[in-house]
Amino acid sequence: MGRAIVITSGKGGVGKTTTTANLGAALAQLGHSVVLVDADIGLRNLDVVMGLENRIVYHVVDAIRGKCTLAKALIKDRRIENLWLLPASQTDDKDAVTPEDMRSLIFELKATHDFVLIDCPAGIEQGFKNAIAGADEAVVVATPEVSSIRDADRVVGLLAAADVPARLIVNRISAALVKRGDMLSQADVIEILALEMLGAVPLDDQVIATTNKGVPAVLEGKGLAAKELIRIAKKLAGHPVEDAESVGFFTRIGRALGLSASPA
Amino acid sequence: MDSSNAMLELVRDVPTPIVDENARPAAILRGTARGLEVVLWGAASVDAIALAIQTHLDKAPGFFRGSDVRFRVEEGPLAAGCLTRLDELARTFDLRIVEITAAKPAEDAVPRPSFAAGSAPANPTATPLALFEDESPTNTATLAIPEPVDPIIELAPVTLAEPVALPELPDPALEITKTAVPLALAATAESELATASETRIVVGPIRSGVILTHTGNLFIFGDVNPCAEVRATGNIVVLGRLRGTAHAGIGQDVAFVLALRLEPQQLRIGRMVARAADSDLPAAEAEIAYGTSDRIVVERYAGRLPRNLATSI
Repeated sequence: MGRAIVITSGKGGVGKTTTTANLGAALAQLGHSVVLVDADIGLRNLDVVMGLENRIVYHVVDAIRGKCTLAKALIKDRRIENLWLLPASQTDDKDAVTPEDMRSLIFELKATHDFVLIDCPAGIEQGFKNAIAGADEAVVVATPEVSSIRDADRVVGLLAAADVPARLIVNRISAALVKRGDMLSQADVIEILALEMLGAVPLDDQVIATTNKGVPAVLEGKGLAAKELIRIAKKLAGHPVEDAESVGFFTRIGRALGLSASPA
Repeated sequence: MDSSNAMLELVRDVPTPIVDENARPAAILRGTARGLEVVLWGAASVDAIALAIQTHLDKAPGFFRGSDVRFRVEEGPLAAGCLTRLDELARTFDLRIVEITAAKPAEDAVPRPSFAAGSAPANPTATPLALFEDESPTNTATLAIPEPVDPIIELAPVTLAEPVALPELPDPALEITKTAVPLALAATAESELATASETRIVVGPIRSGVILTHTGNLFIFGDVNPCAEVRATGNIVVLGRLRGTAHAGIGQDVAFVLALRLEPQQLRIGRMVARAADSDLPAAEAEIAYGTSDRIVVERYAGRLPRNLATSI
């Protein structure tokens, strides 16, 4: 039985989808079988980020409604072994599925895959409730901005209420800006959110470039962000992890502060 | 609430009619800046009260729609079944009951104070403390707020047609609200609240969007994050950072908020509200906030409570 991990943030535009695509690709590269589920029904874009948009025939709503088998709705990534995508529907809305639907769907996927990564929509409404319904654990993505942290804090509270343990990825951190005092540091983020830290992904132009090409950055393997994402994927999967050189100083602070996972 | 506020301010200048004590009505309705206030005569029958309210509201249907309503019971207690009836009425007229209190002498005549009292804080650590000498607050009115008085106006919908000069209002963020007692507590007399104080311990962090309410003292191990709210009828102690809103001493006169790092968005003690000054620096040490007769005082917590507060636990 695999693990279902929801990638969520509350706020939109912080990099949930990109993180999902990259962690999925990295986990698949590590030899795990991975399925990515786009839970952002009505506003799908995990398929674009993965470069699989032209191959969609059936989607998650079709699978739930029994229009096709679940296996038929899964799109296999040709670049890597063991990576599948279950795309969202673009024509339905969040009410097209219920948390119960998602729970049984994710359960079914867990039976055949090591990892089920669920890309959660922004917000805390129906789409969020659907996305976390089947999840065993959560990865909260936050950028070092007050608005993102505020929303992440709210989401962590909701996850705790739903009994979903959460860990944190700080995304798009810029060492230069932090140094100048113009950006919150990882330590600031952890201090408020009081979550165990999986990693801090640096701001990296490479990610933008590869994402627009429909290739997860980790597949090209270039850049600091890709390295950190691979490190995070290893950590998620329980592989031995080397210390991240790129964000060394801040990661050390993060580790010192972040390991006090909160019960609430 | 906002739209009704705007309308209410139009009748603000209407003089308060004197209530004839001999022909005491079962219910008096007043528009206030915070919504509708209804003074109930406890000795009246349920039907009389309900009828009186209904008659008043029927005169101006829709005027208070969606607004808050506060009930004040004079010469209580209310007859059995009255609360249910009030609840039904509130539903009918689309009102939200936010408070039910036992009567206190009315303060209608007191004029609204000027809000000139500034917030520019002296550095709390800069002033030496006189904690051991006497009870008078000696320093650091970081969060200074004047006497909590609300002008209360008799509802007079007739005057709405006439243009009335709008009185100047203070910054809404500084506006004093009276205690909002949760409904579950509302029927309890204030004296009972004081004795029924149990201490509750909560392990934080209290996260954004969470409202924690407790009858008695509240102890929090961990942070209270921005946009979270902790409320207690007693005192609040935060062994962590208080960055959200805290309301201590709901329905009380004496209460305090103590935090290892006191950086609240808003602090409410009893009937007083203060907000953090925009220029506030992050706290560097444990601080305690308590209410005096006219303001909320914040001082360094020097390991013991100011004398007048020690009795409030």
